[in-house]
Amino acid sequence: MSPDPPVAVGLGLNSRRLHDEDAAVSDEAAAIALAGLPGIGPASLSHLLAGAGGPSAAWEAVRSGRSGRPGKVADGTPSWQVAAARTDPQRCREAASERGIGVTWLGRPDYPLRLASDPFPPPVLFWRGDLAALSGRCVAVVGTRRCTPAGRRLAWELGADLASAGLCVVSGLALGIDGHAHLGACAAGPHGATVGVAASGVDVAYPRRHAALWERVVERGAVISETAPGGPAQRWRFPARNRIIAGSCELVVVVESHSGGGSLLTVEAALDRGVEVRAVPGPVHSSASEGTNQLLFEGAGPVRSAADVLDALGGLGAGRRPRSRPGIRQAGSAHTPAADSPAGHTPAGPEPATRVQAQDRQRAGGPTDRRSAEVLDALGWEPTSLNRVVVRSGLPVSQVIESLERLADHGSVAEERGWWQRIG
Amino acid sequence: MLAAVSSATLLGVEGCPIRVEVHSGNGLPGFSIVGLPDATCREARDRVRAAVLSSGFKWPRHRVTVNLAPTSMRKAGSCLDLPIALAVLGADGQLDPALLEGVALFGELGLDGSLRRVAGVLPLVGACAEAAVVVPLACAAEAALQRRARVLAAVSLRQAALALDGQERWSEVPKPPPASGRESREDLSEVRGQPLGRLAVEVAAAGGHHLLLVGPPGAGKTMLARRLPGLLPALSREEALEVSRVHSAAGLGLPPGLLVLEPPFRAPHHSASMASLIGGGTTQIRPGEISCASHGVLFLDELAEFPPSVLDALRQPLEDGSLTVCRSRASVRLPADCLLVAAMNPCPCGGDGSPGGCRCSEAARSRYALKISGPLLDRFDLRVGVDRPDVGDLLAEGAGPGETTAVVAERVASARERARARGVGCNARIPGGLLDELAPIDQTARRLLELRLRQGRLSARGMHRVRRVARTLADLSGSDAAVSEEHVLAALALRSEPFASARGAA
Ligand SMILES: [Zn+2]
Repeated sequence: MSPDPPVAVGLGLNSRRLHDEDAAVSDEAAAIALAGLPGIGPASLSHLLAGAGGPSAAWEAVRSGRSGRPGKVADGTPSWQVAAARTDPQRCREAASERGIGVTWLGRPDYPLRLASDPFPPPVLFWRGDLAALSGRCVAVVGTRRCTPAGRRLAWELGADLASAGLCVVSGLALGIDGHAHLGACAAGPHGATVGVAASGVDVAYPRRHAALWERVVERGAVISETAPGGPAQRWRFPARNRIIAGSCELVVVVESHSGGGSLLTVEAALDRGVEVRAVPGPVHSSASEGTNQLLFEGAGPVRSAADVLDALGGLGAGRRPRSRPGIRQAGSAHTPAADSPAGHTPAGPEPATRVQAQDRQRAGGPTDRRSAEVLDALGWEPTSLNRVVVRSGLPVSQVIESLERLADHGSVAEERGWWQRIG
Repeated sequence: MLAAVSSATLLGVEGCPIRVEVHSGNGLPGFSIVGLPDATCREARDRVRAAVLSSGFKWPRHRVTVNLAPTSMRKAGSCLDLPIALAVLGADGQLDPALLEGVALFGELGLDGSLRRVAGVLPLVGACAEAAVVVPLACAAEAALQRRARVLAAVSLRQAALALDGQERWSEVPKPPPASGRESREDLSEVRGQPLGRLAVEVAAAGGHHLLLVGPPGAGKTMLARRLPGLLPALSREEALEVSRVHSAAGLGLPPGLLVLEPPFRAPHHSASMASLIGGGTTQIRPGEISCASHGVLFLDELAEFPPSVLDALRQPLEDGSLTVCRSRASVRLPADCLLVAAMNPCPCGGDGSPGGCRCSEAARSRYALKISGPLLDRFDLRVGVDRPDVGDLLAEGAGPGETTAVVAERVASARERARARGVGCNARIPGGLLDELAPIDQTARRLLELRLRQGRLSARGMHRVRRVARTLADLSGSDAAVSEEHVLAALALRSEPFASARGAA
């Protein structure tokens, strides 16, 4: 149960009056109150709503004790009936709308169409921002929190390019790949949108250092969750959240995943639903690409750039192909994605046809001297320690450092905690 | 009757002169010591009495009172046994008290009257103004290093008493074996596949910069650290005396030549107590490992395993080059002028800590990173990643043995000479306010640093440290010109943020 549920406690004085009144509890208010019952999950909430025929009736059933769940003496969890008696649904609703939180449930016209046909849809859905973002064409870009600079950069590019192509980029608001996919989408032009699916309540930013990212996602789309407002990110909520990501998209792209990583749960959920899964190939020695390379081995289609995603979706207008951008320095990304949001991105710009051309252009403009080439060769595409670059290149330390810094300024390499990697 | 002799006691690493006064008078036979003796010192009663009797002398049939002056100071250790015994004999008339004038005496007595070595004879002798000192033969050579007073050596109480009276000869003071040149330690040329680590120890030695080595187990962090003392300049005679005094006071064994000539290398385990690391103790203030490492290297392996209280206590001494231990009656200054080299794993999983290559959770990484406080991490001018040498890389062409310790030490020595010529002991000690004067940087280098500051990738304090390291790099390259961009870039790379993402900006 949430530590700070939006329930009206301490109304014992006029509880009788309260009972008289809530005979007329609205469906919205009842839906919010039901989702906030102690220990309630999507399965039992679905059961309640289906049994009663609507939120209002379900609330009445719980309050009167006709449906419900006994409390647990061990941890002091009250029974639903007791909890319901302490809750003022109207107050819950007011609190939600004060925080800009909307609510919908299965069967309502504003409930997202794709999710409505899901085998295991969220019975009640909370959102901040614009829920209509989900009614467009949606692609999930997901991956590990423990990502490499190259993975982070690709996630950002996919987010930006897919959003520019008019798609809605869905992800899980987590650190690493997820966060950068959202950030990229936020940085794109006005066409696209991004939706973050949260495990906690839509007003409880998790992880906390992504609070600023949440607000940007709300502005550029929506943050949605089936957890009641104020609810914490409990462990079991994450796999449940992943099914919502899979269920709201036409395609899931995994950028980087360790073997056995959490994003593979999203893959499972997608495959269960017949949603296509694609993966970004990575170096065979990179732990962060073990999961994705395995997916490719098992037959998932590879994604090298947004163009591959658009092809998989059956092609969108050529005019909406992703553009290239000059090299973006992401070195020293010690900060939250919000802090290191690549500022070099300019939404308006020329639109070359493919990424290959873009890369050529980038190289042509980059340092082309022999020493840079030697350093790049020694570096490779995996995170490499400065020491190893020096060993492999056979150049003096100071020359290697100078080359790397110049390449980093140009966006061809990135550094994190003393590890260097080619990114473009 | 009354007799008095001179001696000294040890306070930290300094000797303090003591007068031992003995009165033998009427009253019930008894033996008491006053003047703040510590437990070992109080036990002198029993040792002295037994030693006097077994040396063929008589124990006075009077009331014997020993006073240790000045009375305000705590007297520690057993080195006062010999002066007390001889003063007792003097007060009892078995020895002419006049013979006890003009000499200082030190020595622990065995119950059979033999003289045993005492710790810290070097600072003890140094504290006395007398023209001659009587010491146990076992530490006579050490006492002679002081070159201040004539050293009279004896093996027993009886010999000392008779020799003072001219009836017997003093033992001959052994000459310490001549100090051989620099010991052949592990050589830097054995370190292969670690160009960055090699550069880091060279810079640390040349500029006196504290160094943090971050790398997985087996990467060779200890190997690098152990080769650092060999790169430091040999100790001057004054430094050698100071280090030897500290080691003597700490009860460490001295080298065969008795003078510590090589920069010391101390590597205390993380389970060592606060007192043994920092110094102090309950009764006797003893120098800790940080003082024993003075003019040398203090190596802390597994830095994250040291208790936070100990790491906290290290910070001030490292910055000041000395520390002060306060007890109720005394406050003692101990040297702490050492180069700190610390080693730690990049994260708890034992992996190499590469982005995406580590199996720790974000929370576990953060917890691990927070074991090293920001202020302590800041003390390291050099923070370098060390990785396990890759077999393929080692076999690659051109990976022959690297430069030897002798070659690098020569470069270090001339870099240190450049720093000294500017009037600073070593670059790590240049005050922030004097950087522009003593270590100016050129325009491009300044622009680079300002850019890093604006980007938030460098703090103002960090910038000072980077500038000092850059100066050392310039000194090593033989340049006296203003620090250039090349050196600043290298200094920045030698000060990476090993835990950046784990610490976060939240
Ligand atoms: Zn790890």
